[in-house]
Amino acid sequence: MTTSNYLLLQPKRIKHYALVFIAMLSFIFSSNSAAKNWQTVLDNGQNHSVYFHAWGGDPQINAYIQWLAQQVKQQYNIDLHHIKLTDTSEAVSRVLAEKSAGNHSEGKVDLIWINGANFAAMAKHGLLTPNWATKLPNFSLTNPTKNPAMSLDFGVPTQGMESPWGQAALTFYYDSVAITSPPKTLTQLLTWSTQHKGRFTYPKPPDFIGVSFLKYALISLTPASLQAKLYQPVTKQNSALLLPKLWQFLDTLHPNLWRAGQHFVSSSTALRRLMGDTELSLAMTFSAPEVPAAVTRFDLPTSIRSYAMSDGSLSNIHFVAIPYNAAHTDSAKLVANFMLSVNAQAKKQRPTTWGDNTVLDLSILAADQVTQFQLSNPHPSSLAPNHNSPALAEPHPSWVKVIEQQWLERYGAQ
Amino acid sequence: MHSSLNIKNLTIWREKTQLISLNERIKGGEVLSIMGPSGSGKSTLLNWLTGMLPHGFSAQGTLLLNEQNITQLASHQRHVGLLYQDPLLFPHLNVADNIAFAMPKGNKKQRIEKINDSLTQLGLEGMAARHPHSLSGGQQARVALLRVLLSEPKAILLDEPFSKLDATLRKDTRELVFEQIRQRQLPAVMVTHDDSDAHAAGGKVITLSAHIQETTC
Amino acid sequence: MIHARDIFTRSIKLTPTLLMALLVIPVVGGLIGVLLPAFGYIPALDKTTFTLRGFYSLFNTAGFANMLLLSAISSLVSTLLAFIITVLILACYFNSPWLYRIQRLLGPILVIPHAAAAIAISFLITPSGMISRLFSPWLSQWDSPPDWMFPHDSWGISMVLGLTLKELPFLLLMALGALAQADLGAKLRAQHKVALSLGYCPMTAFFKVVLPNLYPFLRLPILAVLAYASASVEIPLILGPNAPPTLAVAIMHWFNDVDLTLRIQASAGAIMQLLLTMGLLLSWWLLEKLTKKFSHGSLINGRREYAGQLIQRFTQVLTFILLSIIMLSLAGLILWSFAGYWRFPDALPSQFVLLHWQHALQQMQTPLLNTVVIGFVATLVAVILTLFTLEAEQLRTRNLSNFASLLIYLPMLIPSIAFLFGLVWLQEQVGSHHAYFNVIFGHLLFVLPYVFLSLASSYRRLDPRFSHLAASLGATPSKVFLRVKLPQLLAPILIAFALGLAVSFSQYLPTLLSGGGRINTITTEAVALAGGASRRVSAVYALMQMLLPAIAFFLAWFIPKLVFAKQTASPHKLQHPTLKQQSKA
Repeated sequence: MTTSNYLLLQPKRIKHYALVFIAMLSFIFSSNSAAKNWQTVLDNGQNHSVYFHAWGGDPQINAYIQWLAQQVKQQYNIDLHHIKLTDTSEAVSRVLAEKSAGNHSEGKVDLIWINGANFAAMAKHGLLTPNWATKLPNFSLTNPTKNPAMSLDFGVPTQGMESPWGQAALTFYYDSVAITSPPKTLTQLLTWSTQHKGRFTYPKPPDFIGVSFLKYALISLTPASLQAKLYQPVTKQNSALLLPKLWQFLDTLHPNLWRAGQHFVSSSTALRRLMGDTELSLAMTFSAPEVPAAVTRFDLPTSIRSYAMSDGSLSNIHFVAIPYNAAHTDSAKLVANFMLSVNAQAKKQRPTTWGDNTVLDLSILAADQVTQFQLSNPHPSSLAPNHNSPALAEPHPSWVKVIEQQWLERYGAQ
Repeated sequence: MHSSLNIKNLTIWREKTQLISLNERIKGGEVLSIMGPSGSGKSTLLNWLTGMLPHGFSAQGTLLLNEQNITQLASHQRHVGLLYQDPLLFPHLNVADNIAFAMPKGNKKQRIEKINDSLTQLGLEGMAARHPHSLSGGQQARVALLRVLLSEPKAILLDEPFSKLDATLRKDTRELVFEQIRQRQLPAVMVTHDDSDAHAAGGKVITLSAHIQETTC
Repeated sequence: MIHARDIFTRSIKLTPTLLMALLVIPVVGGLIGVLLPAFGYIPALDKTTFTLRGFYSLFNTAGFANMLLLSAISSLVSTLLAFIITVLILACYFNSPWLYRIQRLLGPILVIPHAAAAIAISFLITPSGMISRLFSPWLSQWDSPPDWMFPHDSWGISMVLGLTLKELPFLLLMALGALAQADLGAKLRAQHKVALSLGYCPMTAFFKVVLPNLYPFLRLPILAVLAYASASVEIPLILGPNAPPTLAVAIMHWFNDVDLTLRIQASAGAIMQLLLTMGLLLSWWLLEKLTKKFSHGSLINGRREYAGQLIQRFTQVLTFILLSIIMLSLAGLILWSFAGYWRFPDALPSQFVLLHWQHALQQMQTPLLNTVVIGFVATLVAVILTLFTLEAEQLRTRNLSNFASLLIYLPMLIPSIAFLFGLVWLQEQVGSHHAYFNVIFGHLLFVLPYVFLSLASSYRRLDPRFSHLAASLGATPSKVFLRVKLPQLLAPILIAFALGLAVSFSQYLPTLLSGGGRINTITTEAVALAGGASRRVSAVYALMQMLLPAIAFFLAWFIPKLVFAKQTASPHKLQHPTLKQQSKA
């Protein structure tokens, strides 16, 4: 461009430049205001307590949360209290109880670890603070424009009510002393179970893993032409069309399960214990790295190996949310933002710590940040990184209720 | 056959101290009175006779009841009745049931008749359905006596049986008890503090000498 | 009698009323708090009309009848078993020094929290547990754990085992406590002797003479055990079936369910639970009346011997089995807490590591502190209120009325699940947001009855002449209380304190609910981890749960020793009045 061009500004052009200028200004201003807003959060959020209600059944995760607490104490002087739940729904009912008592601003729950049906229920009853998660500075590290999944919880838009924390895929693991070649598809699982009676089970719904197994089975059993129906809100017709196949499958599977399918464990953590006891030879988890971690802590035998099903792995993201009446909303935001930091996410992904997959997009991180996520020697029991398993998206959450209900009616009370 | 209780060459020690040394034969209807200050081993002797010698005591000697050696028998197999200073009637049973409890098994009707007869005999007519706590001290003592007697013991032990009764009652009850013992020709051993009791018993009186303090259990 | 009018006396006299209010208001308020939602009234869900919908959906719940049946039968059977075994042990060892040895062996179980006991038992009977390992593979030929049904069997056998083992020491100790009462114990022993001298074999003598007179002292403990068993959560959660679970566990799940409208059903369930428990208490009472009626004939039939030898042998075997179960459970727990890899069917771990203790101890600091602080405060308040109430009794020179005594035991007899949810709602209503306070208050409800039960008899047995003497020397009522009575009661007060701590340490539901889940104690952690992934960490927490009350009781035993050692070391030998009273009998 020459100088004469500058001088030859035409009115039309000027208008164009003005628009660009205004746009730029507004961008600067808005990012300025975002920064300013965050500064307010920083100012208000420090020096308080945050009551983080999170499932507490796993010592490794508990230890990681304790590490988080130390970090936010150092950085923000926030006292992060981990309230260990046996079931996330306990926190949901707590918030509801507060709402019913007219406690709209002094809630005892500041932050909840949540996803799926619990989220859907809280969102439906207006129990969550909206429009905060996308404004966290570290949220951009998830590269949300390229990863829309970060704003979808089981297909339901999160509307900024929850901030992603980690992601998981349904992974299987087996005891290589008891079995040499594990089943790789749902159909193989059925035949395998007839040969290895009592060596496999899944947790009773509404346990998360239990429902996930049912969803995996449902997707695998549904012909490709009908699968779209699983991603829409459930209707009577659709459930009558698709679910009988699942029940048929379970009717044949159950007699081969642990305790002949007469008793199901209530919680997925029990699966790992039963694998440790060698009562089971095959189990599943949503957090693949917990398997090698458990082996190094003696909780699982050294003969354990992980793998992914070749007909697909159910995948989802888990989040943290802030109840609408949380007493320390800004402090909770600071904690949620810290959870998304490279440091915290990398630490979380380390199998020795927790081994939960990061939600950050490594492709937009700096090289030295990426190395934090890389592993030197994977444990023999960990999941091979190059496994060839298509990701299966979670069905619409409304299916969960129907599956749970019908399962309980069929198998819940014998 | 004459009934008898024969204590042969008995020695009782507490730890290493010799407490009692005795050799006596009591014939049916006779009462042997044992006297002596507390701590002299009176209740220890009774405990040996009933087979309930507590831990810490040791004994040598033989106990023959009607010429049968019962030294090693458990107390409930000895057929030796006990009468304490407290009537110790069972509070969950009424008078008749207390007595029925003591009687041997048998025809229900005959047992009831026997109870009523003996109650009448001891001046306790109409008391059958009363509860022990509603009786006077003297009445209770008589029921306790009836209870022992109707259990058909082969010998009877009296552990200061009259010490809780007032003077007039004491005399009456004492006479009644000794009379019954004589009637039934039972050999009896009585432990007492009271000279008049020993005198009224009319049998041999043995006075034990004091030892170091006795532990009660 | 002329009463002093100082502040001490006046405040003492108000305490019984305060104590009653503290117990009755939360329980009754809590019951109202579930009654309203049970009939469909939850303003928070915009449900402000009264309906029976909750009950309809409750009755239509899959397996509802099974839940009721499971709760009813497991609690009745376990209570009956615990009672029968208690009586058998008493009968078998009535005059034997073994009775006190068994008491000493079983006593510590009393203070083991239900959750820890359940965890220990589940470790024992699980297919890969100690029993199965001990017999594998040499006898059973099992190379991998059998697929048997324990724990969580649908018949509730594991649960009954857990409840029975836990309640047995309580009943036994209550019975021995009654026998230790100088007058009663001596009388019963003398009557037993009379029966022996009447030719009764010892076993029969116990059943026909001692039991009918001992039972009245066991009635309340038995009813408390029954009420507890019918509505407890920890043991069914850890040992019971889940398809369907017991009613109480199901209610807890419904209250915590994502679907908030289930709260109506849960409240209706809580009302059902209340009715169920009351029904069970009533049926026990009926059972008692019937037994009394039909056993009267055999009491007086003159029969002296009923297979006494056989029962004796049976009881000895049973006692041995019970003690082995307890020892093995404990051993298993300890092994797991130090275990490295431990593959079935090895009887011992292949290596021992400290890792689990190290990890757990790092993580349990806050819960540990919470446990101790809550326990200490709740017990302190309970002990003070109890002492004041008992002192008020003596100032008024009459005991609490039967009705008042019954009220004190109210929280023991009403299933906690029925009123705790309502209590939480109530605490919200009155704006009590301080979780710590709420939890301590919740614990107080359960600590108070036990402290009262434990202290009342010693306090009432106190020789009144000491205080009369002190008063005649010019001591004020407060001085008499503090300087004359309390020092005499040091040992019982410490025991009551330890008991209160143990009760508080073991509370699960009240901590969880009153604290809104914000207060973690060793017990809530242990229950959360019991269903968790790591047997080893779970073992550490269960052992920790056992250790805490053990320490409390050790101190209660040790402190008086220290004090008396000091007293006997000093030139003036003081005779302990309560001891003197006992030896008088």
